[in-house]
Amino acid sequence: MDAKENRRAIIVGLFLALGLAIFIIGVFTLGGQSKSFAKSIHISAVFDDVAGLKPGNNVWFSGVKVGTIKEIRFVGTSEVRVRMSIDENSQQYIHRNAGVHIGSDGLIGNKIIVIDGGSPGAPIVQDGDQLQAAKLLSTDDMMKTLQQNNENLLSITSDFKLLSHKILQGKGTVGTLMADSTMAVQLKASMRNLQIATASAALMAKQLNTFSNTMNTKGGLADKLFTDTTTFNRLKAAANQFQAAATNANAITENLKTTTDKLNSKDNAVGVLLNDPKSAEQVRSSIANLQQATIKLNDDLEAAQHNFLLKGFFKDRAKAKADSIKKAQGK
Amino acid sequence: MDTTDSTPIPEAPVRRKRGSKLKKSINDFFFSMYQINQFILKFFREAFVPPYEFKEIVRQCYEVGVRSFTLISLTGFIVGLIFTKQSRPSLLQFGATSWLPSLVSIAIMRALAPLVTALIAAGKVGSSIGAELGSMRVTEQIDAMEVSGTNPFKFLVTTRVLATTLTIPILATYTGFIALFGGYLNVAVNEGTSWRTFIEQVFEPLTFVDFTASLIKSIVFGFTIGIVGCYQGYNSNKGTEGVGKAANGAVVTAMFLVFIEEIVIVQISSWFR
Amino acid sequence: MEKGKANIDYNNAVIRIHGLEKAFDDYEVLRGIDLELFQGENLVVLGRSGTGKSVLIKIISGLLSPDKGKVEVLGEDISKLNDRELQALRIRIGFSFQNSALYDSMTVRKNLEFPLVRNRKGITRKEIDTNVESVLEAVGLSQTINQMPSELSGGQRKRIGIARTLILNPEIMLYDEPTAGLDPITCIEINDLINEVQQRYNTSSIIITHDLTCAKSTGDRIAMLLEGQFQREGTFDQVFDTNDSRVKPFFDYNFIK
Repeated sequence: MDAKENRRAIIVGLFLALGLAIFIIGVFTLGGQSKSFAKSIHISAVFDDVAGLKPGNNVWFSGVKVGTIKEIRFVGTSEVRVRMSIDENSQQYIHRNAGVHIGSDGLIGNKIIVIDGGSPGAPIVQDGDQLQAAKLLSTDDMMKTLQQNNENLLSITSDFKLLSHKILQGKGTVGTLMADSTMAVQLKASMRNLQIATASAALMAKQLNTFSNTMNTKGGLADKLFTDTTTFNRLKAAANQFQAAATNANAITENLKTTTDKLNSKDNAVGVLLNDPKSAEQVRSSIANLQQATIKLNDDLEAAQHNFLLKGFFKDRAKAKADSIKKAQGK
Repeated sequence: MDTTDSTPIPEAPVRRKRGSKLKKSINDFFFSMYQINQFILKFFREAFVPPYEFKEIVRQCYEVGVRSFTLISLTGFIVGLIFTKQSRPSLLQFGATSWLPSLVSIAIMRALAPLVTALIAAGKVGSSIGAELGSMRVTEQIDAMEVSGTNPFKFLVTTRVLATTLTIPILATYTGFIALFGGYLNVAVNEGTSWRTFIEQVFEPLTFVDFTASLIKSIVFGFTIGIVGCYQGYNSNKGTEGVGKAANGAVVTAMFLVFIEEIVIVQISSWFR
Repeated sequence: MEKGKANIDYNNAVIRIHGLEKAFDDYEVLRGIDLELFQGENLVVLGRSGTGKSVLIKIISGLLSPDKGKVEVLGEDISKLNDRELQALRIRIGFSFQNSALYDSMTVRKNLEFPLVRNRKGITRKEIDTNVESVLEAVGLSQTINQMPSELSGGQRKRIGIARTLILNPEIMLYDEPTAGLDPITCIEINDLINEVQQRYNTSSIIITHDLTCAKSTGDRIAMLLEGQFQREGTFDQVFDTNDSRVKPFFDYNFIK
C-alpha cells in the first residue's frame, strides 16, 4: 500500500519536474533570443521620423540581431530619441562613427533599426553613446531626388544643344569659336555637371531596382501587390528603364568627355577639329542621345506616378501644391 | 467560527414573503455569489494554514495531472498538427509557408495551449471532482469525515484545488510542447524545415509577456476548474440527481469562466505588450 | 432477543439538551426539544421520516448548529466551542450514518485506519493494525479487510461503518437509522451489534429509527418525536400504551397481525 503511495509520489514528482523543466528551457530559449539575460549596453539615436518603430523592435547590425528598442520619446520640437539596448557581445563590432537608419525586416514586416558603416579606426561604442541617424530613405525621397535629377539632366542637355548649335553654326567662324577659350571651359564644366547628374541618376535607378526586387521576393504577402501583378511588373520595368537610361546617360557623358578631351588636346591644332567633321558629328549625336535619354527618363517618371505604390506621394505633392496655390490665392 | 458551512444549506433561502419571482431569483443570485465568495475565502484560509495535507495533494496531483497526461498530450498533438495543416493553404496563397512556425507558435503559446488544456481538464477533471465530492456529500461521506475529526474542506477541497492549480499549468506546458511538436511534424514533412530552424522561428515572435500571460492564464484556469468542481460537488444537494447536477455544473461553469478569464487576461496582457 | 440488563448511571447525563429549536428556512423542524442521555444508556428516538430525528443528532455532533436552546455534550456547550475544541469533542462521539458513509475510494482497511491516522499523531503501524483488526473482529468482518466498500453488502457496510466509529473508542454513539434498508435477519444482527457495543465499549447511545423491532430490542428508553417535540417518553410498552392517533398506526403497521 505504502509502496504504491511512494511510486505515485515519484511519478508525480517526475511529472512536475519534467513539465517545469520544459517550461524553464522555454523561458531560457526565449531569453537567449531576446538577449534579456545577457548583459547589454544602451545607446541612442535621434530621428526625424521613426516610421512606426515600437519598443521591442529589433536592432540589426550587418543583418544580425544585436539588440532591441527600449524606449522611444520626443525630444525638442519634433525629433524622436530612440534608446536601444545592444548585446554586450556585439558591442566590440560597432564603432562610434556607425550610422543608424530605420529599415524593416520584410515588406510588411516589423520596423527595425539598422546599424551600418563605422570604420575600424573609430573607437568602439560605449554605454550612453549616441549614433548618427541617417535620413530616412523613403520612396518619397527617392522620387524627389529622381525628379530633381531629371530636371538637372534636362537643363544640361539644353545647354549642350545650345553649344552644339554654336559649334555647328561656327563652321564659318571657326576662329571665333577657337579663340573663345571661355567657350571650351564652359563646355568642360557642363560636361562635369552632366557626369555627376548621370552618376546620381544611376544610383537612384539602382535603388529603385532594389526596392522593387525586395517587393518581388517578399511580395507574397501584400495582397494588393499580388492581385495586381501588372502594376508590379510595370514598377519593375520602370526601374529597369531607369537603370538603362542612367547607363545611357553615362555612356553619353563618356562620349562627350572624349570629345572635349579632344577639343582640349587639339587646342593648338584647331584645324584638326575643324577639318574633322566626324568629331563635330560625334558631339551632335551625343547630344541627341542625351536628349532622348532624358525624355525616356521623364516617361519613366510619368509611369512611376501611375504606380499605386507611389501614388500616395504624388497625391500628397499635388495636394501640397494645390494647398500652397490656394494659400497664395487666399492671401 | 462556523460549523455549518461544510454542510449544504438544503436550498438557497426561499423568502416567500410577498416577493415576486424576479426578486427571489435576484436574491438567490446574490446569495450564491456570497456563498461562492465565502467558499473561495475559506479555501485561502485553509490552504495556507497548517497542518498541510501533503500526501493527499500528491495523490490528487496524480489523479489530476498524471492521469490526464495521455489525453492532454494526444489532444495537444492533434491540435498542433491540424492547426498547422489547416493554416498552410492560406499562407501558401501568399507564398509565406516559411511563416508557419511563427504563426503556429503564436497561436499555440498565446492561446491554444492554456485554453485547450483548460477545456480538456474542465471536462475530465472538473466533472470528476464535481461528481466525486457530490457523491461524497450525498452519501454523507463528507459528514462522516467531519465527525471523525478530519476537516473535510481541507482534506477534500484545498487538496484538489491546489492540485489543479499546480498541475494544469504543467499540463499546459506539455500541451504547448507537444502541440509544437505536432506542428513541427507537419512542417517538416511539407517544407523539410529542420527542428532547429523550427524552434528558432517558434521563439522568434514570442516575448516574455506571452509566456507570463500564458502561465498566469493556466494557473487561473487550474484554480477555476478546481474551485468550481469542488464548490459544485461540496454543495450539491442530496439525492443522486445532485451528483449529476454537480458534475454537469462543474464542467459548464468552469468552461464558461475559462473563456471569460481568457478574455480578461488577454486584455490585460495586451497592455503590457 | 429481549434486551439484556444495561449498566446505566442515571445520575450522570452525558448529553443535556434544553429548549432546542431548529428551522430550515420557514420550516420549523425542532420546536423545543428537552433531552437527557445518561451514561451507559441506549436511547431510541422514534419518529416518522422528516420529523427531524437526524437533525437532532447532527446538532449533537456539531454538523448543524441550533437556532435556539442549549446543547451540552460531555459537559461542554457545543455552541461555545471553537473549531479545534469541537474536533476534539467529536472524536469522543461516534456517528453511524444511515448509509454507512464508507469512503468509496478506500479499502475497508483504509476506511478504518482513516480516523486513527488523522487523529492520533505519531501512532505506529503496528498499533494501527492491532486496532483495525480488533474492531473488525468486534463487528465480525475480519475477512473483508482488503475489500472495497462497493464489494460489501448493505449489512456489512453498516458494520464497517460502526467499526470505523468504534476505532476511536467513543463515549457516545449516535446511530442514524441503523437498520434502514436491511433485511429482517440483518436487522436483528445489527440490533445485537448495537447492544454488544453498549456492553463492550460502555457507550451511551442515541439510536434514531422508525423500526419498532430495533427500538424494542435496543432501547433502554424510547422517546417519540412528534411535531418537533418529545411528546411520549419511557419504555417501549409505556410509549405504545396509548390510543393517540399519531402513535397507534406506527405500532399497528410494524406488527402486522
